[in-house]
Amino acid sequence: MSSNEELGMGSYVGIVIGLMIIVVIEVVLTYQHLPVRTLLFSLLCLACLEAFVGIMYLMHVKYESRLLFWTIFPATLFVLVMLNYLWPDAYRMARMSLGK
Amino acid sequence: MSESELTMATGHEVLMEASPYHIEKKKLGMWVFIVSDACTFATFLFGYGYMRVGSQNWGTLFEFSSILNGIIMTFVLLSSSLTMLAAVRATQAGQKASANKWLGLTMLLGTVFAILHLREWVKMIGEGWRLFYNPMGGAAQFGACFFSVTGLHLTHVISGVIALGFVARGYNQGRYDESHVETAGLYWHFVDLVWMFVFPLMYLMNAR
Repeated sequence: MSSNEELGMGSYVGIVIGLMIIVVIEVVLTYQHLPVRTLLFSLLCLACLEAFVGIMYLMHVKYESRLLFWTIFPATLFVLVMLNYLWPDAYRMARMSLGK
Repeated sequence: MSESELTMATGHEVLMEASPYHIEKKKLGMWVFIVSDACTFATFLFGYGYMRVGSQNWGTLFEFSSILNGIIMTFVLLSSSLTMLAAVRATQAGQKASANKWLGLTMLLGTVFAILHLREWVKMIGEGWRLFYNPMGGAAQFGACFFSVTGLHLTHVISGVIALGFVARGYNQGRYDESHVETAGLYWHFVDLVWMFVFPLMYLMNAR
């Protein structure tokens, strides 16, 4: 670890319990019978929140050099954004299967 | 440092520049692996999304018993992240016995996760699910998506348990130090965080 400002084990227990609560919220949302797009958006937002908390605190990125953060995350985010190029084709397939 | 100063330097340590990230090479290497592996998982999940959006008869496949199993698996994996953190803390404090206890518990929780996951697989295969066959009459691609994404994750968990075993053994024999345990911990937390996407997308989005 590169910093002395790290959290104590009690705080980590709180973070993990918080992540478990988010999982429970995801399950509750699932059984609210929301429209698929709304549910997907909600679940993805909550999953991203979990990932962010996990990366920053469990993986200690918060306590590492900022250069590590700025080296890793913009590039990874760029790849994830670029992967979205395939959605138009997925919707084209869906329209084809409906005969439109 | 100028070139002439470098030429005059006698020890190797003088010639080596400090890492700009202020972390050890093995940890930086693990981060590079994690980024590449995150892209691999993302590709699998995007592929699943592509097939799901492009299919009109995807259906809702998982009963609450499977979702409950998934919730328990998620809690087990999250708990293992906590025990891994405790193991890293113990190694940093030089508490060997405590580190062994927490590493052992992390491996145990990883094994429980794998068993719960395999139980789900056995149940589904028993119901007739195959890579390209859907016994419920919906989209046949679901089997391929589910088994490939969860199989890739399960492989990571099993590999992680084995890797933690090697690291624990090396730590006990004095070949490895706390930085090795911390690097192994990074991998373990990553596997945990990937599941935070796999569970909602593969299980919850397909719940009845």
